[in-house]
Amino acid sequence: MKAEQQLTFRQGCIEGSPIFVGYFPTAMAFGLVCRDLGLRIWEAVLFSVTNFAGSGQFLAASLIRSGSILLEIFISVLLVNLRYSFMGAELSRKLEKGIGGIARVLLAHGTTDEVFSVAVLHRLPITKPYLAGLELTAYLGWVSGTAVGFLVGMVLPSALQMAVGVTLYAMFSSLLAQEFRQKGLNVLIIALISASLNSFLILVLKWGVGYSFVLSMLTASFLGAWFITEEEYRA
Amino acid sequence: MNTQLPFIIPILVSALATFLVRILPYYVTFLDRLPPFLSRSLRLLPIAALGPLIFPGVIVDFPNRWYAGLVAVMVSSLIAYRRNGMIIPILSSILVTYLLLL
Repeated sequence: MKAEQQLTFRQGCIEGSPIFVGYFPTAMAFGLVCRDLGLRIWEAVLFSVTNFAGSGQFLAASLIRSGSILLEIFISVLLVNLRYSFMGAELSRKLEKGIGGIARVLLAHGTTDEVFSVAVLHRLPITKPYLAGLELTAYLGWVSGTAVGFLVGMVLPSALQMAVGVTLYAMFSSLLAQEFRQKGLNVLIIALISASLNSFLILVLKWGVGYSFVLSMLTASFLGAWFITEEEYRA
Repeated sequence: MNTQLPFIIPILVSALATFLVRILPYYVTFLDRLPPFLSRSLRLLPIAALGPLIFPGVIVDFPNRWYAGLVAVMVSSLIAYRRNGMIIPILSSILVTYLLLL
């Protein structure tokens, strides 16, 4: 244990602060979405406290809005967040030994894309205090941002409220644009396939939103994995 | 809207799904040994999710002015493509939608 003292709780908090800054406005957008959905503030905050997953929460909110059944929500969120399993697998290999019980559960709950990409940069074994500091800082940004966003939504003029319905779509299209910039044209092709299939299933075949979402997402992923052969993607 | 459940139930269902995928790797090891095709597909899931999250919802959600949402997401995509961060693209798209719905 002595040799790895560089990775302290404090170090984790310091490295987590840029994540805090990044999460806060995104979580504010989520708070706005929740208000638009008709949630109360404690429900919005509970959402972020128990889920702590950007795209998963936006997806769940979108499915709740469309009146999806619970099984559709469960499967869709599970699939969108499946990447955390792979991140966790890599993190758990680098984590110091002997962390169990509640500590392990809490550390697992804090796995996010950003936390992962910061933590795995270390060559030292990742310590419990370090990871706790990193995750806690990110977590506070996400949860507090949700509450602040919700409160901002409460003081928006009522004429603006109608327009807030576009928030979810603005969020997803911004994510898509940023993925496109970082990873290239394949991103757009995959999104185009899944968007077209989903529109067809819903508008023409009158499928439910949840199952249509799952089928479209899986189909586009498999097609993507088939036509992208190189190791172009790091999740 | 079909059955109107209290919001807390879907919130907790979503939390459960998220928690399961997070805790799984701490208890099993098969994730490191998936066939490459499968693991590549799984890594593409979040990108493949974005398409159906936008379409057709962005068009059918604004029945009076079907183009309002579409124009708004084009604006937010353009801004997000040029700079990092979410809040400016989102606020801009709300403003655009507001103007188009006037």
